[in-house]
Amino acid sequence: MKVDQKLIFTLSILFLTIIASCEKKETIAFTDSPIIESYIEPSSYFTVKISRQTPFTSNGQFSDDDLNNLSLSVLYNNTTHTLIPIGDGTYIDSSIVVAAGDNYSLSFTYSSKSVSAYTYTPSKPTNITQSVTSITIERLDISGGPPSGGMPTQPDPVLITWDNADASYYLIVVENMESTLDPIRDFGDNAPPGNLFRKAPTNAASEELRAMDFQYYGMHRIIIYHVLPDYASLYEENSTSSQNLTNPSTSIVNGYGIFTGLNSDTLFILVNE
Amino acid sequence: MRKKYFRSVFFILMIFGISTTYSSFAQKSYEFNRTGNDCFIQFICYKQDNDYESRKHPFIFVLGKPEETAQQMYEKDTLKNLPQFFGYMFVYVPNRGGNSKDKLYCFSAMVSNMTDHFKYGHANLFLAVFDSEISQADIELNNMNMVFKSIRLYHSQKDTSLSATLENVTDDFKETIINYDIENETEEDLFGTFYVDETQVADMDEELAVPQKTYFGAPSALNYTLTGVVRDKSTGEAMSFATVHVKGTNIGTTTNADGFFTILKIPSDTSVLVLQNIGYTKTEVFLTPQTPKKGFIIQIKPSTNNLKAVNIISSKEEVVLVKKEEVSVLKLTPKKLEQLPNIGERDIMRSFQLMPGVSASNESSSGLYIRGGTPDQNLVLYDGFTVYQVDHLYGFFSAFNSNALKDVQLYKGGFESKFGGRLSSVTEITGKDGNQNKFNIGADISLLSLNVFAEIPVGKKFSSIITFRKSYKGFLYNKIFDKFNSTNSSTPAAQPTRPGGMAQQEVEATSYFYDLNGKFTYRPTSKDIISLSIFNGNDKLDNSTSFDAPSFGNSSANFSNNSTDLTNYGNVGTSLKHSRKWSDKLYGNTLLSFSNYFSKRDRSNERTVTNSSGETTTNNNGVFENNNLKDYSIKSDYTYDLLNFTQLQFGGFGTIYDIKYSYAQNDTSTVLDKKNKANLSGVYFQTKIKLLKDRILFLLGIRASYFETTKQVYYEPRASLSINLTDKLTLKGATGKYYQFANRVTREDILTGSKDFWLLSDGTNVQVSSSIQYITGLSYETNSSLFSAEAYYKKIENLTEYSLRFNPSPEGVTYDENFFTGYGYARGIEFLAQRKVGKINGWVSYTLGEARNHFDIYSDSYFAANQDVTHEFKIVALYEWRRWNFSATWVYATGRPYTAPSGAYEVELLDGTIQDFFTVTTKNGLRLPDYHRADISANFKLLKGEKGDKKRREIGYIGFSLFNLYNRTNVWYKTYTIEDGSILETNVNNFGITPNVTLSLKLR
Repeated sequence: MKVDQKLIFTLSILFLTIIASCEKKETIAFTDSPIIESYIEPSSYFTVKISRQTPFTSNGQFSDDDLNNLSLSVLYNNTTHTLIPIGDGTYIDSSIVVAAGDNYSLSFTYSSKSVSAYTYTPSKPTNITQSVTSITIERLDISGGPPSGGMPTQPDPVLITWDNADASYYLIVVENMESTLDPIRDFGDNAPPGNLFRKAPTNAASEELRAMDFQYYGMHRIIIYHVLPDYASLYEENSTSSQNLTNPSTSIVNGYGIFTGLNSDTLFILVNE
Repeated sequence: MRKKYFRSVFFILMIFGISTTYSSFAQKSYEFNRTGNDCFIQFICYKQDNDYESRKHPFIFVLGKPEETAQQMYEKDTLKNLPQFFGYMFVYVPNRGGNSKDKLYCFSAMVSNMTDHFKYGHANLFLAVFDSEISQADIELNNMNMVFKSIRLYHSQKDTSLSATLENVTDDFKETIINYDIENETEEDLFGTFYVDETQVADMDEELAVPQKTYFGAPSALNYTLTGVVRDKSTGEAMSFATVHVKGTNIGTTTNADGFFTILKIPSDTSVLVLQNIGYTKTEVFLTPQTPKKGFIIQIKPSTNNLKAVNIISSKEEVVLVKKEEVSVLKLTPKKLEQLPNIGERDIMRSFQLMPGVSASNESSSGLYIRGGTPDQNLVLYDGFTVYQVDHLYGFFSAFNSNALKDVQLYKGGFESKFGGRLSSVTEITGKDGNQNKFNIGADISLLSLNVFAEIPVGKKFSSIITFRKSYKGFLYNKIFDKFNSTNSSTPAAQPTRPGGMAQQEVEATSYFYDLNGKFTYRPTSKDIISLSIFNGNDKLDNSTSFDAPSFGNSSANFSNNSTDLTNYGNVGTSLKHSRKWSDKLYGNTLLSFSNYFSKRDRSNERTVTNSSGETTTNNNGVFENNNLKDYSIKSDYTYDLLNFTQLQFGGFGTIYDIKYSYAQNDTSTVLDKKNKANLSGVYFQTKIKLLKDRILFLLGIRASYFETTKQVYYEPRASLSINLTDKLTLKGATGKYYQFANRVTREDILTGSKDFWLLSDGTNVQVSSSIQYITGLSYETNSSLFSAEAYYKKIENLTEYSLRFNPSPEGVTYDENFFTGYGYARGIEFLAQRKVGKINGWVSYTLGEARNHFDIYSDSYFAANQDVTHEFKIVALYEWRRWNFSATWVYATGRPYTAPSGAYEVELLDGTIQDFFTVTTKNGLRLPDYHRADISANFKLLKGEKGDKKRREIGYIGFSLFNLYNRTNVWYKTYTIEDGSILETNVNNFGITPNVTLSLKLR
């Protein structure tokens, strides 16, 4: 009896060791999902750019798919169009000239997975008004110390309004159009800012451009984009901290990036000294 | 003088026994005691089937006429071969002459011996008396009616043999059909018969009042109810959940939390009780008619104090006990804990982690991951109040000071209706009441902590215990620690890809904790106990790091990183309990309790980046978390022993939960601010039925709770069954429904490590979670070994996770939407092989498990839950040599799953800027490296008194232990920081090799 127990004990240990040593690994360090980048804007051709992620692990395996030889198709107006690759991961269909209100369903296979995305082009912004067409901003020179008599008085902001009954998202981008940039203020040791600035996406029906927003004198173009929520969410991510690795919400399945329709109108404003 | 005399007589008697002198034909001749003894009886037994070993048959004792020898009687008797008496044992007792008292003297003792102390009652014990001088009055005077079912006096001179009254005799001595138990123990004293004079018992040391050997007199009560209390002999501490059973039978019970027990059907008051409790010597208590039948105090000795091996009666010396009858229950007392390797502190939770089904790869959590469940699904009760956080020091120690504890029971699943509000399991901890006899003080000092306790009794009715423990990082600690830990250095490994490079940095954890326990017990009567238990524990953890490194990827910038990681958390809990034994059958207690758990966490990063042109920018962001939980409870539990095979358990409960949680990413904007308050109340009812001579134990119960928030009643039916197929083989099964109202929600944080927080269900974002459990198991247990296998399946609904990784909509920031509801399951099978006795003992266990969750937001399919461990193998070996105890443990577990950033991509925005985005792996798609670790320890007992001194006793021990013997680097979790499109990966590792020395001293 005693021998039996010892035997059972030994056998159990042996058995358990064998089981424990049968280890199955199931680690998926990197999934090669495609990055889609496509802004679908009226009066332009339908274009899509496909790229790859940069993996963090050195052993991240890419799929064998050739980025320039994928079979992309778009369902538009109930017809399926196959996109033509033009190199650098970019695909185009010159037969589609984008118009407001059109729906687009993109689909292709990548890394044996079916990738799809959907969007539509929103309407052109309507009833746009701007409070002024020119603004005067005093040149600020602080190289000789803070100006005496306090800061110069700031002009009223430029108010831009539009119709937004459905509280959709609008984004305002302002671009200086001068060939040489004439700074309003001394940037000191800092690198000079670019000739573009933007406001945060808003679902209001107005936006103010403050004097402080402008960096240079001269003619500016104000582009009012009517964007979709997925585009706005890219900025959403940007506004919170990156520590949670928030994925912007998109319509893309089995892929990342942006596939969104937009529509815009342009105004002009002159910044005087 | 008199005492001495009896003692010597006793010892002489001890060596006398029955010995077979000769056998002729089929009958056998025996002697009871030895020639010259007052109780010397030479008798003959006869059985038609020649089976002289069994006791499972009727007995006919025959007392002959004066001067008649047993042999003469045997030869004369014609009854013995009648077919009616096939299977009967005839016992021919010679008439020893003298008066009636002399003739019947020791008769009952002999019968007791023959029948194993009336193990099967006296229904089949008969006496035929042929001595006409013995009258009915003599029979009554000598208590023979208690010994025999039926006594026949044959006074007629004509009756020369039994056959003369054949017709009547077969009726008088007709067998009563009774169910004989299976004998599940070898009766070691079956033939080691000793006679104890009744007067001697009465004269024995009153304090002990417990006879040292089997009583062989006539029983005064049969099938009676015995109530009592089991205490520690040295401290008077009531022993919770100790087992008490009648030797040689399945009749028995377990003491309740206050040490009380009731056995409804003790065969006779000459039976032997066997008491067992972990860390205590297995004790046999020899009942006598003089033993109190109510309020019987049984004292048992701690086995660690008992150095004289001769006193140990084949005791089971388990460190952790797997309960045989109950499904998935483990029991542990701190008495034996020091034998297991430890890092600084003996720890109950750590010890449970060495058992199958309880994950051992969580150095970072004292909370128990039981059968694929998370620690919050395990209800932890300390003296009746719920403890919501059991970790000290990153979970390296549990919040429970073993000096303050008496007993811990772990229900791994399928638990009773008495417990509720949790999905997986229950850990029931009972604190010590304190020494009831004498003042005691003691201290443990180890390289990590100082632990002191004092036990102060006041009078006979009041006892108290206060314990305090605080960790420190002393000189020795640092010296040793630094010596063995060179992993502090950062090992950057750049992969210059844009934007994702990766570098590594290692962090070791530092901090301190303290805890304070107090328990004050007052016993106004022998039936009442009032106790106040207080617990306070606090942790301050500082995991802050500072890091300077060149950056990776395309950036030529340097950066330094100062991170603050400060956590302060703790518990305050208290309970006031009144227990009362209302009657022999009704026992109840009412408890008022308060429990508070708080946690404040500040994890913020101050990052200073110096770019190529020497400009510096500093930014600050982080996580600020605050969790505060309050639980005000009242509950009453009653047990009523209805019939000898049924016990009813019932009670009611009410809890007010008040749980707050806030989460901010910087000090101005709060992401989440939840405040929930609700009442949960209900009742439960359970019946415990023992059938077929206690071989089947069946529990059926229901619990109903009303939750204020959802305005709903939740019913939880539960059942469990255990069947002793043979005395060694037990089949078990359990099932039940469980609800949980306060959950620990996981906040997914890939970059800094996921954290969790307590939240009360609000019925919408955070649902009331539920589980259904199915458990089945088989165990084979002998006196020396245990083999058991249990399989479980647990289906869980309404799990909640919080993640900011997904933006359900870009319309504003309503973070409430970031709660996600999912479901999951856990299943597995556990094996345990344990050797319970011998110089080398211990166990081997293996668990094959799977825990899967399903959240639509993460994946379309099931993914491995955070706590999923596929294989877990543990081996524990204990060795005892003189005053040394050695132990070694090895654990191996599959690495746990985690999610990590997997890559990056960029998108050009409409304003021409380029935005970096990061992708992550599939949810829990990665596994940490496998976890394994070996620990060893050696303890040397410190004794007071000279060798051979009777009062020599243990006053403490010196313990040496080595944690993580071969310095395995086990990863706790990973953190990531993103800087300029680069990712810095940090492995937060568990402890490397860590030695420890503990000195433990106590007054008594």
